[in-house]
Amino acid sequence: MSRIDVQQKVLAANSAVAEALRASFRTSGTLVVNVISSPGSGKTTLLEVTARALKSRLRLGGLDGDIATERDAERLRRAGIPARQILTGGACHLDARQVGKALGEEGEGLAGLDVLFIENVGNLICPTSYDLGEDFKVVLLSVAEGDDKPFKYPAIFARAAVTVITKTDLLPHVDFDLSAVREQVAALNPAGRFLVTSARTGEGMESWYALVEEELAAKRARTEMAVAP
Amino acid sequence: MGLGAFASGRADADPSILGAVHEVGLAAEIYRIARDAAEARGGGRLEAVTVVVGDLAAVEPDLLDFAWNAVIGGGPDEGARLVVDWRPARQRCAFCGDVAERAAGSWLRLCPGCGEPLAVIGGDELEVRTVEFLEKTA
Repeated sequence: MSRIDVQQKVLAANSAVAEALRASFRTSGTLVVNVISSPGSGKTTLLEVTARALKSRLRLGGLDGDIATERDAERLRRAGIPARQILTGGACHLDARQVGKALGEEGEGLAGLDVLFIENVGNLICPTSYDLGEDFKVVLLSVAEGDDKPFKYPAIFARAAVTVITKTDLLPHVDFDLSAVREQVAALNPAGRFLVTSARTGEGMESWYALVEEELAAKRARTEMAVAP
Repeated sequence: MGLGAFASGRADADPSILGAVHEVGLAAEIYRIARDAAEARGGGRLEAVTVVVGDLAAVEPDLLDFAWNAVIGGGPDEGARLVVDWRPARQRCAFCGDVAERAAGSWLRLCPGCGEPLAVIGGDELEVRTVEFLEKTA
């Protein structure tokens, strides 16, 4: 019997595609945000409200992963930004190849954006491992889901650069210890940003918009520095 | 039923099985990597594949094992073992070093020794480490 030392990352093939996407997003100066949460946490609603608020000053677009329906992309288009659905046919996450294929098929419609939001399939586990060429991951947690989720799903809360608490307008109606969640996320991800929002009342939304615009400006400044003689 | 169709990249694989858990896709990748490694040495039947899986890799070892057996079932490598080398994530204080113990499923924000913020180290490993196979006899 023979034994071979391989030392190859399981997701190396996905990572190679993701790096190619990342290079093309760098060239186009597009900030790419991978939005992850369980189903019903408010990913599409956050992006709808963001689209309405920022579309007059930024070119935004969306890719929406869904198992079976076109609903999410339709909602973003109604909010006034170009969007394409990626139907995963049952798969629980998006991978880099699907993102590249969707962008290629959409062509001009999703080219030259300032910000591309990739709304992943609703799931707190499976999307965690798949690099989509994004600049950063955002994880959403609605107050209706319960305040033990960061420790129950540590991988995504450790990796997402930004945690967005959603639906704070429901706080009077649910037992949700916001400070406990903040502590959990800080333990898993000391450098992560933590935002508290309600898309319905507008609470915290300005800090989310500011974060998106700051990250876009920072990415463009880095790109310019890299190409400067 | 085996998932050879998916492992070989064919489009007619059953999506209801593929969608069940992402461990199925990972198992298929592990199988492809292991087969490629064996083929590069002349080919032969796989005996065991060792994968390093971190605490924060979002992978459930039992599901990965189940998916592995589904992927190789009915094929030439049926019965090959998947060995999971589990790596916990560590929490480390810049002053006191690693935190020795914490409750399962719990993470600390501050060092129990000195109260400084802790960093999370490692745990995101997801890598094929070794492949064992029986060489073809001439």
